[in-house]
Amino acid sequence: MPREAEISVNEREFILKALQESVRLDGRALDAFRPLELTFGDEYGVADVKLGRTRVIARISCEVTAPLPERKFDGIFQIITEFSPMASPAFEVGRPTDAEIILSRILEKAIRRSNALDTESLCIIAGSKCFALRADVHIVDHDGGLIDASCIAVMAALQHFRRPDVLVEGEKATILSVREREPIPLSILHQPLCVTFSYFEDGERFLVDANMAEEQVRQAEVIITMNRHGEVCQIAKYGGATVDPLALLNCNTIALQKVKELSKFIQQKLEEDVKKKDKGGLMAELSAENAR
Amino acid sequence: MAPEASLSHLHRADGSATYIHNGYCIIGAVNGPIEVMRRDEMPEEATIEVNVRPAAGVGSPKERHLETLLHSTLRSIILTRNIPRTLVQITLQVRSLPEEDGTSGVNTSLTLLPHLLNTALLALLSASIPLRTILTSLLIALPTPTPKMKQPVPILSPTSTELFRTQPIASLHVFAFSADRKLLLSESEGTFKYAEWEEAYEMAEEVCCRDQGGVGLGGGEGMEVDGEEASANLEEWLRGVVRRKVEVEQRWRSAT
Repeated sequence: MPREAEISVNEREFILKALQESVRLDGRALDAFRPLELTFGDEYGVADVKLGRTRVIARISCEVTAPLPERKFDGIFQIITEFSPMASPAFEVGRPTDAEIILSRILEKAIRRSNALDTESLCIIAGSKCFALRADVHIVDHDGGLIDASCIAVMAALQHFRRPDVLVEGEKATILSVREREPIPLSILHQPLCVTFSYFEDGERFLVDANMAEEQVRQAEVIITMNRHGEVCQIAKYGGATVDPLALLNCNTIALQKVKELSKFIQQKLEEDVKKKDKGGLMAELSAENAR
Repeated sequence: MAPEASLSHLHRADGSATYIHNGYCIIGAVNGPIEVMRRDEMPEEATIEVNVRPAAGVGSPKERHLETLLHSTLRSIILTRNIPRTLVQITLQVRSLPEEDGTSGVNTSLTLLPHLLNTALLALLSASIPLRTILTSLLIALPTPTPKMKQPVPILSPTSTELFRTQPIASLHVFAFSADRKLLLSESEGTFKYAEWEEAYEMAEEVCCRDQGGVGLGGGEGMEVDGEEASANLEEWLRGVVRRKVEVEQRWRSAT
């Protein structure tokens, strides 16, 4: 398997020199995201995110299983990230790279452990039946910013997904298919989104949403996950450069602003999709969702 | 309905293609010729690696089985001896399946196979891997004879809704043909007689391969076909996709 092509010395110097003069190669401002595109498929729970040239597809699927014996009242939620040679020939099937491990850890911390999804609502019969939800993250094209893009994709897909309705009569549960009853959306408690800051010049200068080349020359990265209410879910720092604690506070304010923009964008796209699906205006009557 | 395809839309892979047909959407990427791992290296020919990745979950024996079939078929059309001691890496990601796929009650690995083959070929063309010939692939379903209809009509590349409605299906056949009308792959399932198989084979050949008469008259370049015919014939369709792509790429040249 070939290694990832390393950036040449000249190119590295060029990017760093340009950054000293506050210029990015693609002409963006230092704290600007690349153009974001979000599309949904015909089926529920598939989100296709394009962040510049990075492309990530997240797909949510669910099945009925027995809950874990130590957590009888909770459903199961898993996020699976596996890189394929499609994104880059350096990725090998069945042998995770460091980037892949970091991505799955961050998503785990950001989405699963921050309780973005109410797993209790996935329980059907305590101790015997529950929904097992899985989010598959497919990296289709890799040009940096995988963590941000994957987080957006998973959160958008979760909000787009509809699970089949269940009818519980005592100990007996019937799963009603899509044909029988309109599926219901998941209960999402909040929407965490990740913003990655890349540090250069020994922690003196930072960039938002670095692309592949910038990622290769950066010294450190700080990943901040928060929701649009400004509640920080996790902060992770990788790489050697020292980052001033006060600078982190500054990062937080920038992250909040970015997260607000992103949530608004996702919400807008979701509404557009609902309108597209709701052709005859009958969706409200079909809905089987219970008010919480 | 003719499939939709777009070529070379991914930036990192050497060649890529997206193929949409009957609710199946598959993204294919090819990297090659690239450096091969020492243990897979072959002194006189290229190694081919096929990865099929399902839409949900990780690969199961079903995907491994599909990979084996794809590997042996593609090996016969890639000129592996022209690029020895290299690797051609083919990744096929299933993006979406038709909704009824799980419920149609037929083997889903066979219904997926022709789509995977067509995607792989488009991606190989996009990556400019030396090929001996092109291939086209097709699924045919034979319904069970009923008292009303003794001689059931075979369904060419059925949609999953069609499969669901025409229960029970007696047999499913997947054929792949090269450009010179040679059979490259034949996978069948169910109960059928040899005569039935042969009928399906002839039907598939008709749809997959171009009319030979036209080739002889047109001097090998039978390009002037109308849109309707091109959509019915898979080879014409395939050539059309590549021709349109080449035309777009050559705009700079033809504009001056």
